[in-house]
Amino acid sequence: MQLTRPFSLFYLVFLAACPAWASDLTVQAQLVWGANDSQNASYAPVDTGLSAKLHRIYKWNNYFEITNEVKSIPLNESRNFKMSDRCVLKVKNLGDSRIEVSCIGQGKEVSKGSHTLAPAKWLVLGGNAKNDTAWFVGLKAVDPSLAKRQ
Amino acid sequence: MNEELELKLQAWVDGELSGAEAERMAALASGQSEAGQLVAELREVKMAMMGADIPRSVPESREFFWSKIEGQIQSETQRAPVSKPGLMARWRRFLMPLAGLAAASCVALFTLTHPKPVTNDEFTSTDEAMDTTTFHDQSSGLTVVWLQDNDAARPTSVRPEQSDDMTVTD
Repeated sequence: MQLTRPFSLFYLVFLAACPAWASDLTVQAQLVWGANDSQNASYAPVDTGLSAKLHRIYKWNNYFEITNEVKSIPLNESRNFKMSDRCVLKVKNLGDSRIEVSCIGQGKEVSKGSHTLAPAKWLVLGGNAKNDTAWFVGLKAVDPSLAKRQ
Repeated sequence: MNEELELKLQAWVDGELSGAEAERMAALASGQSEAGQLVAELREVKMAMMGADIPRSVPESREFFWSKIEGQIQSETQRAPVSKPGLMARWRRFLMPLAGLAAASCVALFTLTHPKPVTNDEFTSTDEAMDTTTFHDQSSGLTVVWLQDNDAARPTSVRPEQSDDMTVTD
């Protein structure tokens, strides 16, 4: 019992130092195309979690996954997520699950903002596209192991 | 004869009374009264008990008893030598406060070097041709930033029956 006391104090020190190591944020970015046409066999339907949330708000019948990227972002650093040839998201890890997102369309920044990526919460950027369709980019904090798989 | 008188007679028989009280009890006991009979019985009992006690004597003197106790204390003191603290125990005396201090320093350092950021979630357009609208759907845990061309007409993309708990910040 007496021996465990010093070790428990060292464990406290270890725990205090842990947040500094765990400040990397792993972010998943999905480019989703919303359309009423269901004949797009070349694209897979987006996962049901995001699809259900989008169905709750938007009118489109189908949501297809175009791109899916997972990247680990160290604290105070940025990573570019190339969603398509014309759209790049620049995501900066501000710490404490907060990110700064810059949406770059055709090389030009069109919007910028900061957001807290709480667990299981989605941040979605979207806009209208041709032929009564829409594009969406879903951002979510995910487990770091997902970044290693990619 | 009441109980109080009986007790006084017994005290007189035992020689515990003196003066006028003793004389009064003697006067009462001298006659053939009830008090006299009680005194006679008490004297008989006293006589019968006398010499019935087993004589008790201390086998050893007080000094001899103390010398035994003293000897026991001395032998126990010699038998239990003062143990020196081990190396681990000596290190622990310094390590425990040091570890606590280190933990407190880490927490303080981390708190001071990582101040909580302002948590206002806001997206703004950085292009004059674009407009942004932010939806917060609390029930589904979804935040949508809708980017809209200013030149284009407003879309009819949102379902008319969308949830009530969705707020819009423009």
